[in-house]
Amino acid sequence: MELSFSSKDIEFRDEVRNFLANEYPKNVKEKIENGDPLTKEDIVDWHKSLSAKGWMGFNWPVEYGGTGWSPAQIYIFQNELGLAGCPPLIPFGVSMVGPVIYTFGNQEQKDRFLPDILNFDTWWCQGYSEPGSGSDLASLKTKAELVNENGKDYYIINGSKTWTTLAQNADWIFCLVRTDSSGKKQEGISFLLIDMKSPGIEVKPIITIDGDHEVNSVFFTDVKVPAENLIGEEGKGWTYAKFLLAHERFGIAGVGASKRQLERLKEISKDLGDDDLIAKVSQLEIDIMALEFTELRLLSALEGGGNPGAESSILKIKGTEIQQRLTELFVEAAGEFAIPYGGPDGYGSNVKPNGPEYTNDALSKYLNMRKVTIYGGSNEIQKNIISKFVLGV
Amino acid sequence: MNLNFSDEQNLLREQIQKFCNSDYDFYDRENFINTESGFDPEKWKLFADQGWLAMPFSSESGGFDFGPIELSILFEEFGKFLVLEPYLSNVVLSGYILDNSSFDKKNEYIEKLISGEEQISLAYMEQNRNYDFKNITCLLEGTDSLSLNGTKNLVLNGSNADNYLVTVNHNDVTTIVVINKDTEGLSINNFKTVDDRRISQLNFENVSINTDQIVSTGDEAEQLLKDAINYGTLCVSAEAVGSMESCYLKTVEYTKSREQFGQPISNFQVLQHKMVDMFIETELCKSLLYKSMIDMHENNDSKYRSVSALKSQVGISGKKVGEDAVQLHGGMGVSEEMSIGHYLKRFISIDSQFGNSHFHLKKFNNS
Repeated sequence: MELSFSSKDIEFRDEVRNFLANEYPKNVKEKIENGDPLTKEDIVDWHKSLSAKGWMGFNWPVEYGGTGWSPAQIYIFQNELGLAGCPPLIPFGVSMVGPVIYTFGNQEQKDRFLPDILNFDTWWCQGYSEPGSGSDLASLKTKAELVNENGKDYYIINGSKTWTTLAQNADWIFCLVRTDSSGKKQEGISFLLIDMKSPGIEVKPIITIDGDHEVNSVFFTDVKVPAENLIGEEGKGWTYAKFLLAHERFGIAGVGASKRQLERLKEISKDLGDDDLIAKVSQLEIDIMALEFTELRLLSALEGGGNPGAESSILKIKGTEIQQRLTELFVEAAGEFAIPYGGPDGYGSNVKPNGPEYTNDALSKYLNMRKVTIYGGSNEIQKNIISKFVLGV
Repeated sequence: MNLNFSDEQNLLREQIQKFCNSDYDFYDRENFINTESGFDPEKWKLFADQGWLAMPFSSESGGFDFGPIELSILFEEFGKFLVLEPYLSNVVLSGYILDNSSFDKKNEYIEKLISGEEQISLAYMEQNRNYDFKNITCLLEGTDSLSLNGTKNLVLNGSNADNYLVTVNHNDVTTIVVINKDTEGLSINNFKTVDDRRISQLNFENVSINTDQIVSTGDEAEQLLKDAINYGTLCVSAEAVGSMESCYLKTVEYTKSREQFGQPISNFQVLQHKMVDMFIETELCKSLLYKSMIDMHENNDSKYRSVSALKSQVGISGKKVGEDAVQLHGGMGVSEEMSIGHYLKRFISIDSQFGNSHFHLKKFNNS
């Protein structure tokens, strides 16, 4: 057993640090530090800086234009991004639909979509949840009907998707749609790529409790999608969706970002001289340490060729609980400066300059982060997974 | 980075598991709880024959040079079966101090310890010291003929010890002396603990001490105590992790077999999620255990801080898992004849030893 990373990995870590110190867009960095909201352009700039370095495909194999990094390198890369306070990577292209396309798509689809994902020229969004299908995703109803027009096959889409993150910025959406309602509900689902400019698509904002416009409803009325946009086989969409979820879980713990927040909280609680807050922050530090080593244990198993399996649900559950706990303690530290709310642009940040700098986005983050225990398979669903696959009940 | 056990370490775990599975039946264990010694001397002999009592000693002292990783494995497995034999007091605490001291007669004590012939306990606790091993009130006075007065409390396995390593204040210098149980002026009161271990109070009244009984003094003595206690803290934490694992596994097994409302109670989601929480607490504590044992193995500066994080968490999580295990076993959980309640009592005892959760959280924050 050995705690430290190899000298090769340390060298790699320094390369990532060096990149972040010099090539991470300065205006984005400043906004993050001031707790200001990011525009679409800011987010694109940040991703493009990674594309320029050849690191956008950080978790992809070399043959599809990825870095081909080892699990340890991927871990280090994500951890350093978090420690440096970088905005989270938009996962829908690089971590979600990308791996599905290079694993299950045909050559034409790979050639058509993968380069744009790596260059961040296409902004993808995810069409999974529906008003009637949340945790019970397989009950989804958005219908895709195969028709032939002038010798060409199309799917006609009718239905709606919801909680679609940043659909207002998206060029494409990957959707789970129902192509068959006759058999078992999982077996009639297909995985379809849809151009957001298609006639019949309407995006309506959903304003969340932080006052922000992050998620949307997406309505489909007789939307015509070329059949060549189907990934893999009709009716196999559920299998691809499950594959995608397993891919998404890597790095979900967000330890790097949490450690950065924790350091700030430690300073604040000591400045305030509040022993009660200091004790809560210490407990959180132990929780983060335990989470970090749980992730490293899984990483070590992966590096040894093992499969982390359902245990990785622990990372989702504890990682998100810790992310929320951090925001709770920031609100506690902000005291009554937490409540002035609503910036000039309508975004849900605290009004400046009422309180110390750390109070600016304390409450908006707290409200925004309520989502993390709900999305990506709610924490209750994660517990069902552990119960079934680890405990065997 | 590598957090996988070596083949040799896995083999050691298998060997201990094999022993516990075949020789450590809970009902058989019950027979020894009420004997005078509180453990099975035959098993202690077996530990010696297997070489387990020699594990952490240096090869110069006749040991195997095993370290914190192997001891964590041993204690994790012991924790699964609530092993009673006094390994902690003898091998970990006294053994560490003797082995790493400059005491010239240490080998005769170590030999008898490794062979299982004699037992030796560390007496470092006093009243109202709140886990502080310094500021000792037991006074060793005089220059040529030394005389000891004072009281030591909570001496682990005190009733079975042939000798004691006693911390004393000698001219305001922390000093460790070795004292035989039959020494004149030493009176011993023996007690049972809530988890069926043996513990003693030692009263010294004008006990005369020879200079050749001095094991260590000053900075060396304080460093030895600090490290022995840190080692002991790691070991009981590893034991707690093993006990936690047993608790959730036994609870899963029980809820699968217990039927109410015409079905196994494991079908109920509220119980499933509670058991998942028990599993998660266990795995998180295990992760802290890995960090601590490797920090100690690599002798990193962070070793005391990691152990404090571990001990603090194990104190909270152990009790939580133990209480939930009792709850999910229903009335059976509070029955003395079932093992589950005994795990809870062990968690309570472990939390109170070497600094409880609150103590270690503060220590963690201040280091």
